[in-house]
Amino acid sequence: MSTLKEILTRRPVAATIRLTVPAGGARPAPPVGPALGQYRLNLMAFCKDFNVRTQKYKPDTPMAVIITAFKDNTFEFTVRSPSVTWYLKKAAGLEKGSGRPGHVMASSLTLKHVYEIAKVKQQDPYCQYMPLESICKSIIGTANSMGIKVQKELD
Amino acid sequence: MSLVINSLRSHFFKHLLCTSTAAAAASTATALIFGHRTRGIVGQSRFSDSVFFFSERYKLLSQLASKTATFSTSRSSSSLETLPTDSYTSPYLSVTICCQKNVADMLSEALLCFGANSTSIDEHDDDSEVGDEICISSIFSVSQDVKESISLAVDSIGLKEIPSYDVVMHDHTDWIKESQESFHPVQVIEGIWIVPEWRKPPDLQATNIILNPGLAFGTGDHPTTKLCLMLLYDVIKGGEVFLDYGTGSGILAIAAIKFGAAFSAGLDIDPQAITAAQHNATLNNIQPEKLFLSLVPSTGSSTFTNEIVSKPTDRQHLNDKGVVTETEKFHVVIANILLNPLLDLADQIVSHAKPGATVGLSGIISEQVPRIIHRYSPFLEDITVSKMDDWACLAGFKKINLG
Repeated sequence: MSTLKEILTRRPVAATIRLTVPAGGARPAPPVGPALGQYRLNLMAFCKDFNVRTQKYKPDTPMAVIITAFKDNTFEFTVRSPSVTWYLKKAAGLEKGSGRPGHVMASSLTLKHVYEIAKVKQQDPYCQYMPLESICKSIIGTANSMGIKVQKELD
Repeated sequence: MSLVINSLRSHFFKHLLCTSTAAAAASTATALIFGHRTRGIVGQSRFSDSVFFFSERYKLLSQLASKTATFSTSRSSSSLETLPTDSYTSPYLSVTICCQKNVADMLSEALLCFGANSTSIDEHDDDSEVGDEICISSIFSVSQDVKESISLAVDSIGLKEIPSYDVVMHDHTDWIKESQESFHPVQVIEGIWIVPEWRKPPDLQATNIILNPGLAFGTGDHPTTKLCLMLLYDVIKGGEVFLDYGTGSGILAIAAIKFGAAFSAGLDIDPQAITAAQHNATLNNIQPEKLFLSLVPSTGSSTFTNEIVSKPTDRQHLNDKGVVTETEKFHVVIANILLNPLLDLADQIVSHAKPGATVGLSGIISEQVPRIIHRYSPFLEDITVSKMDDWACLAGFKKINLG
């Protein structure tokens, strides 16, 4: 996907659309339909493109996608992996984070979980140049704010 | 009501009234289950069979309406009376929030976390006249509590007050109509045009395939569709039997008939696709005997091929082909789906092809090609890859003797 500067100098942008779509499950129904339909974008092309590019993720993981719609009814989009909080909740088997993070621990995870999550996150365009260690640290930070303890091994 | 829904609805009634067996068969997945019973009926004389067949089918369909077979069956049987009221046709709420430019991005992300289906920010040409305000339009489903979500979102990013917003209820027809605007006639190969139903063909002499894709995939625009059409054009010489696995709008199956194939079959897992494909078949005046459409059978491929054989391509052999044990029936098989289904269903897709038949695979990007080649090389030889815009299409011949 090209840089923002290239896009802006190349074609006039009509709108920026943010969506959450399950991986491999884009259909021309809501949420995709109305959001893209109002800018007259080719729904099917987006769905197919999105589905193809998210084949490597587990089906139905909610992916955040940002679509840049241009005035000539063409578009480009970038796909981001699900949020760290979503991964943590899934790994810990939780529905919501703890009500009082820092005081009440909702669940705990091992470093191995954090490492796996960091590896997936590193594939994101934003994190590709960050060292794995700093990604892990930020994941641990998020986990703490949710009330999930990170341990060396599960006891 | 929108053009699409109207045309789909009128299509249903048209097929209920006229004696078109393929439509009745294709609109229920139980055609396969009842295939055994009705084959005897088809074996009778050709003139009475359509009327007789239809009334038997109708009886069976009404019996079926009370049974609960599979999800897809009950879905399609109810669709004969009313249109399926699922998420495709539900109304939605469009909320416009005006806020400061610097918080717009954060607010839209927060809205997504707190229940919005999507958010979009319009870009303005001339920033000076707009000032500091920017509008986010967000889409919520009807069941959502908009006020709650907005206040939670605003809270989470630290804004002091809730910005002004306003809510409008939209009908599903709005976005369906808008998305159809983007569909123009397109010339895929020299002399072959794909024309949407609501536009006139630019060249009346050429082979025109008229389409109304509805909510299914396949307008002729997409590189994968074009690649598959070009493959079809090269391969179909006349009289072949063709299978379109993942037919979508039916475009490949219909194109094959127009290029001269004797018989086309289209399979899909999405009932919407089958409806759209049937509609397109009638738009292009394709006889039901030439085109068979069905949902992918859950009971395995043997019942499917029994049903196929009962379709009269060669009427004098009808009575002989009571039961078919082998699955290899098709001269050309094309599957334009996605990487994961292609990998999972490799055995099934290839089992439908005759030895030496052409098998085409698409719906993949260049980086996924090696995996497909690896998965399919036990079955196919002479694999060639054609590419367009980072999309790829593989073609190969099924090996004559498979271990």
